[in-house]
Amino acid sequence: MLQGTLDLMILQTLATLGPQHGYAIAGRIEQVSSGAIQLNMGTLYPGLLRLEQRGFIRAQWDKTETNRRARFYSITAAGRRQLDAEKAEWTRMAGIMEALLCEEA
Amino acid sequence: MKQKLREWCLRIWGTLKSRDAEVDEELRFHLEMAEQDALRRGGSPREARLRAGGLAQASESVRDQSAIRWLGDFFRDTRHGARLLAKSPLFAAAAIGSLALGIGANTAIFSLIDAVMLRMMPVHEPERLVQFAKFREPYGRSSFSHPLFHLFRDELHSFDGLLARALMTRREVTFGAEPEIVNTEEVSGNYYSVLGISAIIGRTFDEEIDRSPRPAAVISYAFWKRRFGMDPGAVGRTFRLNRTVFTIVGIAPPEFHGVAVGEAPDITFPLSMDGEVRGSESWLPSDSRGWLSVMGRLRHDRTVQAAQAEVSAIFSRVVQAEAGHQTKELFRKRTLAQHILLQPAGNGFDSLRQRFSEPLRILMGIVALVLLIACANLANLLLGRSAARRREIAVRLAIGAGRGRVIRQMLAEGMLLAAAGGAVGVLIACWSANTLVAVMSNGGDRIALNIRPDLRVLGFAAAVSVAACLLFSLAPAIQAVRHGIQPALAEVRGSARWRLGRGLVAAQVAVSLVLLIGAGLFGRTLVRLYAIETGFDRTNVLLFSVDAAHATLRGPALQARILEELRQVPGVASASAAVSPIGGTGWDGSVRIEGYTFAPKEDDHVHFNAVGPDYFKTLRTSIVLGREFDGRDTETSPRVAIVNETFARRYFADRQPLGKWVNIAGDLRHQMTIVGVAKDMQSRSLREGVPPAMYMAVTQAGGPPGSVYLVRGTITGAMLDTALKRIDPKLRAEDVRSLEEHLSRTILRERIMGTLSGFFGALSLLLVSVGIYGVMAFQVARRQKEIGIRLALGARPAQVTRMVLAETALPVVVGVALGVAGAVGVTRLLEKMLFGVTATDLVTFAGACGLLVALALLAAYLPGRVAARLSPVETLRCE
Repeated sequence: MLQGTLDLMILQTLATLGPQHGYAIAGRIEQVSSGAIQLNMGTLYPGLLRLEQRGFIRAQWDKTETNRRARFYSITAAGRRQLDAEKAEWTRMAGIMEALLCEEA
Repeated sequence: MKQKLREWCLRIWGTLKSRDAEVDEELRFHLEMAEQDALRRGGSPREARLRAGGLAQASESVRDQSAIRWLGDFFRDTRHGARLLAKSPLFAAAAIGSLALGIGANTAIFSLIDAVMLRMMPVHEPERLVQFAKFREPYGRSSFSHPLFHLFRDELHSFDGLLARALMTRREVTFGAEPEIVNTEEVSGNYYSVLGISAIIGRTFDEEIDRSPRPAAVISYAFWKRRFGMDPGAVGRTFRLNRTVFTIVGIAPPEFHGVAVGEAPDITFPLSMDGEVRGSESWLPSDSRGWLSVMGRLRHDRTVQAAQAEVSAIFSRVVQAEAGHQTKELFRKRTLAQHILLQPAGNGFDSLRQRFSEPLRILMGIVALVLLIACANLANLLLGRSAARRREIAVRLAIGAGRGRVIRQMLAEGMLLAAAGGAVGVLIACWSANTLVAVMSNGGDRIALNIRPDLRVLGFAAAVSVAACLLFSLAPAIQAVRHGIQPALAEVRGSARWRLGRGLVAAQVAVSLVLLIGAGLFGRTLVRLYAIETGFDRTNVLLFSVDAAHATLRGPALQARILEELRQVPGVASASAAVSPIGGTGWDGSVRIEGYTFAPKEDDHVHFNAVGPDYFKTLRTSIVLGREFDGRDTETSPRVAIVNETFARRYFADRQPLGKWVNIAGDLRHQMTIVGVAKDMQSRSLREGVPPAMYMAVTQAGGPPGSVYLVRGTITGAMLDTALKRIDPKLRAEDVRSLEEHLSRTILRERIMGTLSGFFGALSLLLVSVGIYGVMAFQVARRQKEIGIRLALGARPAQVTRMVLAETALPVVVGVALGVAGAVGVTRLLEKMLFGVTATDLVTFAGACGLLVALALLAAYLPGRVAARLSPVETLRCE
């Protein structure tokens, strides 16, 4: 999977759902993609860390509903700006691709 | 971009601080959730785990993102290296100590080179400044007269501005009641504007001050700080110099120390006030007096070549006109041969550079060689250590560490040593560079050099440390991994390492020999200079000058009075005065001699000095014919002269010189009669032979009164002062020194080279001995078993010792051969600085070789004796 795509998916998930732990993020992405995208830990957590290091998301330890300690991620203001920019770019790119592919067909 | 930077910073931070535990907890939580979900949905927890991926792999991937792997490795290697070094503190101390000495010496010499030769002045566009170097035979570099400077300033078009500056002089100024001595200089009005310097308080001079002189002065920042405690009210303060009251108009910026390297003037005066500053007749109108240095700022659209052509054209016109007045062929030729060279002056006027650039360059070479030896030493020690760690390294390689990784680990240890050595070295450098400047200043004039280590010096130290680290740790590191895992399986002899070790010993011996030979040559130069037959008795004579600026008596009367008083002091055998002290800066001039005609091309220059009564008696130089000057020779009595034997021999041959006349060419009115012939004595410098010399009576010479007094006898500075105070309380003895000290000052460069090269030669000898000892001791330890067998089989202890010595002898002999060859090539470069010895002096070469071989064998003898005393039973049992 493209790195930028993963970033975009994580940011979008957090923007829609609010603070989530890593497992919930992976679950949500799996659910939305109808099981097409299954993130393993070796992809998900380095990605989360990278976003955190770039200041797009923030992490803190908190309790789940079942009272378990877990690390919750939430999107920051910079993350939202990044999400908007990348969304726009994605839409633009998708438009171009579509136009290109339809013309060929 | 900003986010990327943030990511990298956090990764570096992550390298230092591990958060593995936190990551593990998070990943375990993920797995548990996956299992629970699977159970809830009725699936298999095992499958869910597999889908989520392995915990170890995931945590490894996270670590790759949270930290920078190679940086982490580097930190780990460094920590490992530090632990290893801490385990052998003696080795660490020896290694760091020798490196610190090597790096420190290099940094110290470099910081001097930086201050004297490289550093640009803190002025506007220093690279566009050029100095005018005028050459005139037989004097070499000569200064400019004021009219000549004016001519250039008015006629040159290649420059944005041309400034002039007179040499720095110590003068007495009075702010309140007490007079104080300060360093002063005089500069043209455009000095500051040409340099692009403005005052931090007040203002500087402008060109207007050249046309309408005002008693204004600019003080240096250092003086402002020292004298006024940085009180802004200093501007506007007045002080008296001679009979004029000057006003401080401005303070120069802190980083600006004037335009001459090594000088730091306190007060700067406008050139147009020369007469008032001097307190006598102004030198400004004089055509013949050269006293100014000239520097110009090149226009942006002109090249140095174009400016040089313009300057040469104007100057050749001046020279032609001057030569037109001269009748004597030799003079004409010398006048016409004068020329001016434009030289880059962005780093200031270069009088200090001229004197010290060659010694500094040679010293730089010397200390670089010392560092090489230290590196070779360390490489050898590390070879020994890596041999001891062979098993560890083999295990690392066997379990899959890359060779590069192992080499990097060993380099980290070297880097640690180099960093520590470099840090201590910089401290040593700071201290020793200051000491060296103090030694250089010993020549009489204070040298003010700013040698605080700047970025360039620190950069140099760092570069040297890194280079040294690569030099001494790369070879052992590569050597260590070359065998791979084999040595762990079989105890091979490691002959390759031994070969490398011997090669290093040979190299050390060679380099050290070059240093020793150089030191020997400089040492012998010094001995020869001290042993010169000077023609006078240098013991028990005190030299001093008298500051008489405020005394009531002046001129010859004062001098006569002082001499009279000195002769009364108990313990004084005799006293005299001279214009220029022996071995100092007498002056040369051409003469006319009764009954002698100079051939058309013959040099008619002789050495002059103006001396007082009892001069020869005080120096214990005998008068072979006639008499020496005494009370009879006054300003009004017939003019008399004394010549030396060389003079008499050359110009009178077998004729009687007494009673014949001589006069100074160009001054035909003042004929002098020869009344005495003195034995030859050194007069120009110790390095030059005795020139034909003529002495005039100081009372009749017409120049300034004798500036230096000479006293023979047992007398102290305090006794001098009391004697002077009896004449006039305002008189003060200055610069009191013994004649021996005075002579030493004239050979300052030779002394510096002699002492320092000797010191570094000894240091290299020490390093080499320690190196050889270390290598041989290690060899003996490694071959204990073999030696034990030899002893058990009946070898006598002496034979074992001889075996060790023989093994050392080979690399030493090879080293000596290489060293001699190298020295023959190198010492030729020193020839100009030597005296009384040739660059391939046999005694020096033989002595250095002998000393080195003897010490090398001694260093090998100690482990050899240890080997001989090994007990065969124990060595064989311990395996």
